[in-house]
Amino acid sequence: MTDATDFLSISEAEKSFAATRVLTRVNLGVKRGEFVSLLGPSGCGKTTLLRIVAGLLSPDAGSVRLDGVDITDRPPHHRDVGVVFQNYALFPHLTVAENVAFGLEARRAPRNETQATVERFLDLVHMRDFAIRSIKALSGGQQQRVAVARALAVRPKLLLLDEPFSALDRKLRETMQIELKRLLRELSTTAVFVTHDQDEALMMSDRIAVMNRGGIEQLADPATIYLRPATAFVLGFVGLSTRLAGSITAASDGQIVVATTHGPIRAIGTLPIGSAAFIAVRPERMSIGSATTKENSIDVRLRDAVFQGSKVQLHFDAAEGDQIMVETTQLPETPLEPGTQIALSFAATDTMVFPTESTS
Amino acid sequence: MTPTNAGTVPRRRPFDPVAFLAVPAIAYLLFVYALPLLWLLVRSVIGPKGFTLEPIASFFADPFNWRVMANTLKIAGLVALVCLLVGYPTAFALAWARGWVQVVLLAAIILPLSIGVVVKAFAWQIVLRRDGIVSSTMVGLGLWDEPVRLLFTETGLVLGAANVFLPFMILPVYSVVKLMDLRLNEAGATLGATPFYRFRRITLPLTLPGVVTGTVFVFSLSVSMFVIPSLLIGDRFQTLATLMGRSFLLMRNEQLGSTTAAVLLVLAVSIVVGSGTLARRLGDNA
Repeated sequence: MTDATDFLSISEAEKSFAATRVLTRVNLGVKRGEFVSLLGPSGCGKTTLLRIVAGLLSPDAGSVRLDGVDITDRPPHHRDVGVVFQNYALFPHLTVAENVAFGLEARRAPRNETQATVERFLDLVHMRDFAIRSIKALSGGQQQRVAVARALAVRPKLLLLDEPFSALDRKLRETMQIELKRLLRELSTTAVFVTHDQDEALMMSDRIAVMNRGGIEQLADPATIYLRPATAFVLGFVGLSTRLAGSITAASDGQIVVATTHGPIRAIGTLPIGSAAFIAVRPERMSIGSATTKENSIDVRLRDAVFQGSKVQLHFDAAEGDQIMVETTQLPETPLEPGTQIALSFAATDTMVFPTESTS
Repeated sequence: MTPTNAGTVPRRRPFDPVAFLAVPAIAYLLFVYALPLLWLLVRSVIGPKGFTLEPIASFFADPFNWRVMANTLKIAGLVALVCLLVGYPTAFALAWARGWVQVVLLAAIILPLSIGVVVKAFAWQIVLRRDGIVSSTMVGLGLWDEPVRLLFTETGLVLGAANVFLPFMILPVYSVVKLMDLRLNEAGATLGATPFYRFRRITLPLTLPGVVTGTVFVFSLSVSMFVIPSLLIGDRFQTLATLMGRSFLLMRNEQLGSTTAAVLLVLAVSIVVGSGTLARRLGDNA
């Protein structure tokens, strides 16, 4: 998973708190200038991993290398790793400008240089007019900007962000996400971003590491994570999908046939014949009505249609109590009435298949 | 003022009848404390022929009284200093300890408050004697050549008083440390600040209000302590409080006693008010 060209490489990192194992042999490589998200539910170990990279926690085993140097045993103030904390952790007794200047002063930068850098970074986050304000007089979004400026002003080799948007309301969050992404690109900063919000991760990242139970389930670009989830956990955690259970009856050339109660369904995958499996389809990949270009088709009955503005979410009942969800942006010409019998079709290439989990 | 009510007179807040609940306490303090105190203070400026500043003038004319004031301030300052040096780190230990360690620490700090000052002072008499624990330990370690009596010395007085007043330093500092966000220190570290720099720029300024409060507590308690100096240093060394006691109890000089009380009161109040202002200013920044 890691190679010599990686700017940040974490290898075989392990961490336990008392009897609880939080990280199990985690490997992660991040390229220079890359924006990588650690995405996962709370308790998956993503924040622990971030704190290990920052030097705020030391791993029980494994190592962290940054820019070719092993920093595993270095204290945080000798690492050149900036952190934007979830609650921002701004110094309440200092002004906005003093907060941004803190790291530069700690590194004994010349006074005039510090002042110029502070002004530049406050400009970058549009907070120059607030320079002499008290931290306590700022809104959440403004505090977040100051926290980003403070972390970036010392030009760290790596910026870590621990759910920096979680305290902001939805609208502000989207603005800040776009701003941060632009700022990091302008400064070509390498960043690792912790979040439990899949939309945030999909929108901002070059690559996403989906974490579960102290390990990384999949590390890939957002499109691959969404379209080709490597595990059932990734499928379930990122995006919506309809699942139908069955078993493998044929397999050749990377295509397999899964026998379900709705008939045989063709899917992309490699699983041994006879094994229990389930297929999964994203709701926007299903079309209403039978289409000859699509290999798979099932008969369903409409239960409910939910209008969501730009799209409509349709809930269907299939045989054996299975439920199928479809999202479409193209509304049918005649509105569908609940109870309507209809066929749904979907391509084999849009059909994912996973082995049935033995547990949970 | 918001634009909506611009130009209108802000309505007076109606009197809250809940305030009546404080009447018993106010009445009690007024009749058994404030009025007698006022009477005592008035006595210092009332002579046989009516109002006079003569007692105060003669108090300040006597070099002995200046030495007493200097003694009082010096001892109180030293006690506050010792409490600060010992109590400040202890407050962090208490705030950051977990589980039973914290319970034990808290008990060790709070429980001694329930032991009377007289008992503690007698205990210190035993400890500070020529053949006491301090002396024999120092001789045993080879740090002192011969046994030394600390009892009835200023050092002994400061040690004993600091012991009694230590909780009043620890608890206010503890309460601000407890409220401090530990992430601030981590943020400082990730910005490249060394532990010492972090302490100087983050921890110290944020705990300063607690330090001021604790110092005011200990200082004002030390300025007016009577039992501890009486038992640990005796009559050779006078503070304002012991002088006041002697004036009333031994010399039967109520004029001198009242004047001393007035001086002590002005001293103590100005310290409390002055540092209260300081603490508020520091608190605004924190």
